[in-house]
Amino acid sequence: MEDLKRTLKQLIIESLNLQGMKPEDIDDNASLFGDGLGLDSIDSLELMVLLERNYGIKIEDAREGRKILTSVQTMAEYIQQNTKAIS
Amino acid sequence: MTQPLYILSACAISAQHTYDATRFLDPVLSVNDGKLFMIDADYARYISPVAIRRMSRMLKAGITAGMKCLEDAGVKTPDGIIIGSARGSVTDMQNFLKDMINMKEEALTPTAFIQSTYNSVNGWLAMMTKCTSYNQTYVHRGFSLELCLLDAQLMLAETTEKKYLLAGGFDELTDEYYIIRDKIGYYKKQMPESQALLNHYDTPGSIGGEGASFFTVTNDADKASCAIHGLQMLLQPTSEALQAAMADMLSQNGLKNEDIDVLVCGMNGDSRNHFLVDPLIATCADKTTIATFKQFSGEYDTASGFGLWLVNYLFVHSCIPTETVYKQGTSDEINNVLLCNITISGDATLVLVKRNSLAG
Repeated sequence: MEDLKRTLKQLIIESLNLQGMKPEDIDDNASLFGDGLGLDSIDSLELMVLLERNYGIKIEDAREGRKILTSVQTMAEYIQQNTKAIS
Repeated sequence: MTQPLYILSACAISAQHTYDATRFLDPVLSVNDGKLFMIDADYARYISPVAIRRMSRMLKAGITAGMKCLEDAGVKTPDGIIIGSARGSVTDMQNFLKDMINMKEEALTPTAFIQSTYNSVNGWLAMMTKCTSYNQTYVHRGFSLELCLLDAQLMLAETTEKKYLLAGGFDELTDEYYIIRDKIGYYKKQMPESQALLNHYDTPGSIGGEGASFFTVTNDADKASCAIHGLQMLLQPTSEALQAAMADMLSQNGLKNEDIDVLVCGMNGDSRNHFLVDPLIATCADKTTIATFKQFSGEYDTASGFGLWLVNYLFVHSCIPTETVYKQGTSDEINNVLLCNITISGDATLVLVKRNSLAG
């Protein structure tokens, strides 16, 4: 799980081009949107594509997506439960 | 043109120090690989960290040049935004197309697609300046910028109220785009040092360039240093047609050849344009100084924006940078300047700019 979260943080930094940020700067439970990492709606689309490309997970339901994309912790838990492992 | 289009401010981001005009051509920046890329400006001054991280270089340059131009004019919210670009954001388009191929049209990211459109810069500028009025993009190859200026002039001619518009143009160079254009003969085979481009007029092709040039234009004569009085676009003219259009434009403004103090000539070093450029230069009076700029900007579809920025520079600073002088004339005044741009495909544009005698 710890390895998964570290990889996920690195993927988030790369795909969202979070310049100057390192995986250790992102708290596992910090909110990705709003006051936490400050991501926006376009980033949420990028994160959904990230899950599809790297883990074969397709989020069809927007309400479910909001819960999954709450934090790195919730994303990692969902990936662990639903991995089809493309990469 | 029925009424002058006053230029209140100008800002360009280019391969030279134009963003900080106090450093213009000091030093001259030159390359020998035929690719004059823009110098990055202080993008973070106008664009938030959240937004800037997903923007391409061209998007950042376009927004920054537009915002600084408005700031220099003291205009917070313009009455319209009119921008021309022949190709839009090429980097974003390339990224999106590469993604489509690599991902077999599945799971495509939205950012590159959203920002690849020709009107991305307009949209961002409108949001940042809270401009909810007229917003237009012209995509018309070598005439894209001139059509913006014409549209601005027509819009301002319809009103007696004082209005301020942001008009400009941008185009981008990428390594891939250079390869494509090279294949269709846009660039020289033996690439000279860019600043010596015009010494190589005996071979076809030019050098690549890119840039963003913006102007705050208005019908308010109060503070502008100069104004556009004539504008002509000529699709692949003959030499005779170009000279006739020039004579016609001067005549409509009560001027003759010898009244032109400076001809700012957008010759691009392509031997195929000799037949247009040589007779034009030959018709210039002894008093006319000929200044050139494509050895500094490179050739791109909206390179005339660099030329118009230079014209504005001449009026604001009342001097002609020696590095730009192709032929020194006898006139020591700068009252009437003619900008003539020649594109690689042989199209030509003429813009007559006069000193604003009504400035308060």
